[in-house]
Amino acid sequence: MAETGRLSALGSAPPVRAALRYGAITAVALAAFAMVLLLAGKDPLRAYADTFSYTLANAYGFSELLVRMTPLLLTAVAVALPSRLGLINVGGEGQLYMGAWLASAGALMFPGLPRWQLLPLVALLGFIGGAVWAAIPGVLRAARLVNETIATLLLNYVAPLIVSYFIFGPWRDVRGSAYPQSSAFSEAARLPSFFDTRVHGGLLIALAALLAYWLIMEKTRWGVDMRAIGGNPEAARRLGLPVAAWIVIALAIGGGFAGLAGMGEAMGIHGRLRQGLSPGYGFTGFLIAWLAGGRPLGILFMAFLFAIITSAGDTLQITQGLPYSAINLLLAMILFIVLARRPRKAGR
Amino acid sequence: MKKRIGSILTALALGLTAQAQTPRLIIGAVYVGGVNDYGYNRSFHDALAQVARDLPGVKLLEAENVPESGEVERVMEGMIQHGAKLIFPTSFGYQDSARKTARRHPEVCFEYAGDGAATRNFGVFFGSTQAAWYPMGVAAGKMTRTNKLGFVIGLPIGYALGNVNAFELGARSVNPKAQTVVVVTGGWSDKAKEAGAANALLDQGCDVVGMHVDSPATIIQAVEARGAMSIGFQSLEARALAPKGWITGLGFTWAPFFTRIANAVIAGKFRGEAIYQGLGEMVAVAPFGAAVPADVRKLVNAAADKVAKGYNPFTGPLNNNQGGQALPPGATVGADQMGDLNWYVEGVIGKVR
Amino acid sequence: MTTPLFSGVLAGAILSGTSLLYATLGETLVERAGIVNLGLEGILLIGASTGFATAAATGSAWLGLLVAALSGGLANILFGWLVVSRRANQLASGLAMLFFGFGLSALVGTPYVGAVITGLPKWRPAWLAALPWVSGSTLFNYDALTWMALPVAVLVWWALFRTRWGLGVRAVGESPAAAFASGRSPGILQFQALSAGGVLGGLAGAHLSLSLTLTWAEYMTAGRGFIAIALVIFSKWHPLRAVAGALLFGGAEALQLQLQARGTDVSPFLLEMFPYLLTILVLLAWGGARRLAAPASLGRTFYGSE
Repeated sequence: MAETGRLSALGSAPPVRAALRYGAITAVALAAFAMVLLLAGKDPLRAYADTFSYTLANAYGFSELLVRMTPLLLTAVAVALPSRLGLINVGGEGQLYMGAWLASAGALMFPGLPRWQLLPLVALLGFIGGAVWAAIPGVLRAARLVNETIATLLLNYVAPLIVSYFIFGPWRDVRGSAYPQSSAFSEAARLPSFFDTRVHGGLLIALAALLAYWLIMEKTRWGVDMRAIGGNPEAARRLGLPVAAWIVIALAIGGGFAGLAGMGEAMGIHGRLRQGLSPGYGFTGFLIAWLAGGRPLGILFMAFLFAIITSAGDTLQITQGLPYSAINLLLAMILFIVLARRPRKAGR
Repeated sequence: MKKRIGSILTALALGLTAQAQTPRLIIGAVYVGGVNDYGYNRSFHDALAQVARDLPGVKLLEAENVPESGEVERVMEGMIQHGAKLIFPTSFGYQDSARKTARRHPEVCFEYAGDGAATRNFGVFFGSTQAAWYPMGVAAGKMTRTNKLGFVIGLPIGYALGNVNAFELGARSVNPKAQTVVVVTGGWSDKAKEAGAANALLDQGCDVVGMHVDSPATIIQAVEARGAMSIGFQSLEARALAPKGWITGLGFTWAPFFTRIANAVIAGKFRGEAIYQGLGEMVAVAPFGAAVPADVRKLVNAAADKVAKGYNPFTGPLNNNQGGQALPPGATVGADQMGDLNWYVEGVIGKVR
Repeated sequence: MTTPLFSGVLAGAILSGTSLLYATLGETLVERAGIVNLGLEGILLIGASTGFATAAATGSAWLGLLVAALSGGLANILFGWLVVSRRANQLASGLAMLFFGFGLSALVGTPYVGAVITGLPKWRPAWLAALPWVSGSTLFNYDALTWMALPVAVLVWWALFRTRWGLGVRAVGESPAAAFASGRSPGILQFQALSAGGVLGGLAGAHLSLSLTLTWAEYMTAGRGFIAIALVIFSKWHPLRAVAGALLFGGAEALQLQLQARGTDVSPFLLEMFPYLLTILVLLAWGGARRLAAPASLGRTFYGSE
């Protein structure tokens, strides 16, 4: 499974035009979803108005958008960075869980450390957990043994099982009636939150990651080299570049970012390790990176869009009695519209 | 003419008052599954729907299939924004989120189905089912022909272990050879695993199966299809699923308690407390199946009465199933300590993980 | 009387593996044609929900099965329109189908949650039922889907490896340009494979809701679609090996439940990990031979003239 088409939906359109195009796409999708709502016997105008007032025009609602965005930004970068080398990383889920796992190990082993020591430690562990988990497929790919798409996908299944094993077993909370979760982390391990909302330090980490990604791509020799090769590792190899090392490093860094997403969820939102940390953040991140053409600003915009849409699902369940999952139809419609655009010519 | 105007005015007045009636109380309920599950979630939904019917001016907001993740907090906040003043987080795993939301909204009352400490606006409740499984065990012990009983639980938490233990103790009390085999599915609502677990138990020769999962439907249907008998849990309505094999079951009867709470909130007199009630109050015994003979019914009812009057089957000396002693003579495990239970009584086949 | 561990696990593996096998066979067809559908889970959900809804509304599980198969096929055709006609990125399109499946199945299934249906009828030949280790267990007491699972696997194998159509499909999967040059129409072959694959996926979902559990709940497939994708890899894109794979993966789940019922303690999670780790090991072993078993053009978009 070599090229599955470069990771770009809108090609190299300038940001403003891209944003406008996405606005138009969203409008069309909203209209289509409105028809679905009508068919289901609901009131679309009311639904959209409710969504607006409870999501955007509302301080808590807006803060929740940021909460939703945080892991998405990281998992999107986890896909975007390796994609510059033509690598496809669909292992965000697994890397997220392993980052959460290793960070939790640190928090549980050193609960007494002061915050200024413990927090950087768990952040580092989170990064390492995801990085190692992605490096494994990286090594396999570099050695031409297993395609990285397959390897990262398979490892997605194993990671949550590892987490479950630990929270059902050695790490199980001694105080919570044997409910499967780890003991609560000490305050020092928790990411600070802002203004009595759930927005936590993970957001800063995510934005920093986005910035780091941009810096690597635009300002470092390595990043520029990667882009210049145009995502063709074979050509690079023939030119004598250390492609094998690059493959492993690129995937490892990407995986590390996804691991930070896991750390953020565990340390910022839950305060412990539990099942169900990720409702598909890894895959959603893939879609965001793809829709954004791998570009940082695009990732920011698309993550925000996804956050709004999934928030709408909550509101619709309460106000319209629609099952929360129905909002996935709106997401799917937007994706369909983008996917179904005029077929690209060969070479793009 | 005057009469006509009079009746029109009356109709207008009635219409206007009807329009002007905003709800006295908006209740928000969050469920981890669907309310039509013949089980846990249904018991809450049925009770709250009844409250909304019985008390005038009560509106009910419900959110189904909310996973035990960061999502719960958003849902509760959404309900509060829509004016809910009484929130029921009905799943055990909602605890962290529910407590946080309660701290953020001291003007909203919470009734959490689980355990832990109550605060001024955060009440904790649950039905003590453990002792109530004792008469269920009596029924199973009498009805079994293979002396092997099966029990499917979702997660090995103290409450589930307690249910199994009481079940086995009840069965032993009428049938000293009865054993209970336990299978853990690893989650409260994994239907395919529940079917597999039921089959595994039946493969082992169990002919009566009880359960502690969110919805008894899958297990009861699997057991019924293979001609074995079942004892239901969570909702009294589950008996509809097993016309032939139903023995009896337990179901939650939350309505009277919920009505009291709703009235307290309306009157502004809500105070969070930890309230556990058992057989006779929050828990009831389901009607018997047609195949249950009269002498068994008498025994079961007698056992149920005993429990309702305060009998605690968790009274030492009791041995665990590892060959040691679980409770020394005279020691008891009360309803409020059930969450910490971590052993199986002698006669139960299974390991506590 | 208790059934021996072996037959208990086998019975459980067969029951659990039926839907896995159908899903894997469907995805094998599709991937042999060079297309990867990451959204297989969505197809299963669509099949499960539409099948259950139909059975609940009409009282006929057979009608439900039919509708499930058709819905699965249609969904895959929609997917085909995206990746073949519009040449969209396959991974992204697959994920879009995943979301589509989540949403559509929820909308279709929600009104019917809690409905009680009579599922697909089960049937066991009398002479088998008389065997000592069979009676009393679920072995050989199967519905039509499970009975047909092995024949369908053989059918898919035969279609792929013994017919000209199959040859064409595999050629497209290896190299669409070469296939095109030899006079075949890659697009039509891919659509045919997608339709068949979708039907199988719909049936896989239907087995869950119409036979295994007789219920509908959101996300009830619990990742089976993704497991099937791993299974396709595990079985090296070969339908007959998929049977062994389905038994293995289905068996892992059945094994830990059966072991528990016998009082043995084994971590269910370690047991569940085993099939995936095995898959990776197996891939490593083949990868060393430098000959990828995957269709060479898997995932590629074909840009020739259509």
